[in-house]
Amino acid sequence: MTRTHRWLAVGVLLAPLWLLAAWLLGDTAVPDGLELPPIDTDAVFGAGLVDDAADYEVFLYVAWFLEQAVRLGVLLLYARKGVRFARESAAGPIGTGVLLGMLGLGLAWLAGLPFTVARLWWDRRHEVSDVGYVEAIVGDWLALGATFVSISFAVLVVMFLARLIGDFWWIPGAAVFTGIVAFFVVVSPYLTTGADRLDDPALNASAERYEESQGVEGDIPVFVEEVSGETSEANAYATGLGPTRRIYLWDTLLDGRFDDDAEEMVLAHEIAHHSGGHLVETIWWFGLFALPSSYLLMLVTRRRGGMGAPEAVPLALFVTVTFYLALTPVQNLVSRRMEAEADWKALESTRDPDAMRRLMRGFAETSLGNPSPPGWAKVLFDTHPPLADRISMAEAWRVRSEPAGGAANAP
Amino acid sequence: MEEIPGNPPLRQPNPAPAFTAPGAPEPPAPPGEDPRPIRLVIVDPALERSRLTVLVRLVLAIPLLVWLGLWTFVTLFVGIVTWFVVLFKAELPASLQDYFSSYVRFTAHVNAYLSFAANRYPSFVGKPGYAIDVEIDPPPRHRRWTAALRLVLALPALLLSTTLAGSVPLPSSGASATTWGLSLQGGGALFVVGVLGWFVCLVRGRMAAGMRDLAAYAIGYGVQVTGYVFFLTDRYPSADPRCLLPTLRIPHHPVRLENGDDPRRSRLLVLLRLPLVFPHIVWLSLWSAIVYAIAPIVWLIVLILGRLPRPLHRFLAAWARAIGQLTAFATLVGGPFPGFVGASGYPVDLPIDPPAPQHRAVTAFRLLLAIPSWLLASVYSSALAAIAVLLWLAGLATGKAPAGLQALGAAGVRYLVQALAYTFLLTDRYPYSSPGLDVREQARDEPSELIQPSSFPA
Repeated sequence: MTRTHRWLAVGVLLAPLWLLAAWLLGDTAVPDGLELPPIDTDAVFGAGLVDDAADYEVFLYVAWFLEQAVRLGVLLLYARKGVRFARESAAGPIGTGVLLGMLGLGLAWLAGLPFTVARLWWDRRHEVSDVGYVEAIVGDWLALGATFVSISFAVLVVMFLARLIGDFWWIPGAAVFTGIVAFFVVVSPYLTTGADRLDDPALNASAERYEESQGVEGDIPVFVEEVSGETSEANAYATGLGPTRRIYLWDTLLDGRFDDDAEEMVLAHEIAHHSGGHLVETIWWFGLFALPSSYLLMLVTRRRGGMGAPEAVPLALFVTVTFYLALTPVQNLVSRRMEAEADWKALESTRDPDAMRRLMRGFAETSLGNPSPPGWAKVLFDTHPPLADRISMAEAWRVRSEPAGGAANAP
Repeated sequence: MEEIPGNPPLRQPNPAPAFTAPGAPEPPAPPGEDPRPIRLVIVDPALERSRLTVLVRLVLAIPLLVWLGLWTFVTLFVGIVTWFVVLFKAELPASLQDYFSSYVRFTAHVNAYLSFAANRYPSFVGKPGYAIDVEIDPPPRHRRWTAALRLVLALPALLLSTTLAGSVPLPSSGASATTWGLSLQGGGALFVVGVLGWFVCLVRGRMAAGMRDLAAYAIGYGVQVTGYVFFLTDRYPSADPRCLLPTLRIPHHPVRLENGDDPRRSRLLVLLRLPLVFPHIVWLSLWSAIVYAIAPIVWLIVLILGRLPRPLHRFLAAWARAIGQLTAFATLVGGPFPGFVGASGYPVDLPIDPPAPQHRAVTAFRLLLAIPSWLLASVYSSALAAIAVLLWLAGLATGKAPAGLQALGAAGVRYLVQALAYTFLLTDRYPYSSPGLDVREQARDEPSELIQPSSFPA
């Protein structure tokens, strides 16, 4: 039995444990067996909007597939030939590995650049984005610097551990990466710029009410992030852990296109992410995915001397990107489950399914989101339930909450 | 700043190296470089300056500046006419050659006078024979297409020239003729050298050799650019200090430059250069934070012991070298990706001598004494920024780094690291501001009568 076989056996033995952990994390507040009633999307959103959104998204789907194909092709080529760039390094083995990692990502960025421009053109054409081409490319180029810092740190950790403890690096490696993600979740509110505290007494009062109804301990500050100069899309998000918990509402959500009840629904939804422990769950899920991906890396790079050798980095990059691309449907599924739970808890808090309906219609109008995408698109792209499904959930909640023919939309 | 009294860094009218150290090897000319058609020459290498004229130099120079401004104003129009003439005849008529030669010489003289690179008052007509002068070969026949695009082709050289000498007169809206003379004939390195030189000459009665060399270099580059723009030559200006100052020799310094760079550049690394330095910046920021935090303690230790303990020296030397290597890489002066720990072996390397005893008085006032060096470092930083842009474009287009820009950039990196080393107590030797490169060619044990480094300003 070779060492590779032994490691394969370890993988097989650990797989059931992994599945058990995933099952435990899959618990949700959405009632079991909740049936989502079908809705007439044309009637709810308007046939014109549905057609426009579908047309808009077709281009994005095609661009995405092409981009992934080109990107994977480039990375595959880089995995085979990229080692030659090692001669451009005057650094030691780890520094050279860092360089090779960055160059691989740089090539992937270059490969994706035409698609970035094409998507921007499409968004501008549909008035979804106001960002200029030069601004986007330069911004993207500079953002690449931040990506390079991340990949450098990742390569540094992996190569250091691999050189220190050999093939076992993947176990502490996954733990280190999970720790880093946890760290960034905690500190991310401090990294967000261009946001001010929400200055709306009514909305702040609602936030307090929802925090209480959802059993949140302590106060979660709500901020408004200024993005209206870049996009007309409306959005919000929850971030931070413990004392750093925050909720950010984009100013595009508060510009009058959504009514007060819809805004409150968003607020309740984001509070539900905190009350449901979704950010902690995200960290656990990351760890759960980091473990097999590190294990896989260890296995496939053994033929190139293992992750301690810089020659393995181009291959590792290709494997990692491919692995996470293949996992996209699973990651989306996890994300959709958490979002559905947040929707459900928001409905429980606001008791206003009509607001949910208006909110989703507003999202479709401002973001040209397809209310009811094809099943494959939902699996591949949607981190949130489709808008139609979210309205269906609101209807399902209404049905379940009606005592016996009574209305259930009082806040 | 150290001096090399009597050691002429510039090309002599007489090619015999009259001021080269006996037995010292003659620095080789840059590979493939013929003598430049426009050359800066030192007629009078003496560094002594009259304190009285130094004190009132700017006032004395007012007539020169007014005249230069008027002359520049007229030259702009003559230049436009000349452009048509050269396009038509493919050569510069003798009368125009004389006119532009006199103008170029006069700008060099005024800049030399203002920056204390020369002592005597210059003539108003650009008469040959001034302490720092310009030799100009007869102009060649011009290729019409390069003549037609002359101003566009000159843009990269103009960019660098602005950081060094700003010697090409380009009008800006609302500027008077005199303002042109002041701002365009004396920006960048010349301005800083002029300001610092004023203090140095007043205190010591002589100009610092390194600063004189830097001023001469800036003037030399400026006259090349002006000559190129006004068709005195069709040879593109070279930024190579070895080309502009072929006999320049610099003294041994504990922080040296070893420039073994391969001019070839990977286009991918060139394209992604800026994001590629981000991880180094993050890392060096952390490292620098530690260095800044311990600096007061290090200062006390050196003050008490009279030398830097070896472990601290190693730590600080690695830090300074890492900054130098990153600067070289970021500005494309160096090709390969540098390591993170400041280890030796980078193509643009900066070996630092082991710790040596340091004067306590120099240590006590180190921060104060370092201020001039940081002013000069800012000049080199500006030049490096321009060099980075030009090398980026050249690297993308040709896959190579032009030798001249690379060499000047390497000199800039050396100065920055020397300034760091001085400020952070790695050495008490003042940074040497000359852009000279020939460190390896220079014998370390040169006769002391020729090289007598002082502890303050060079």
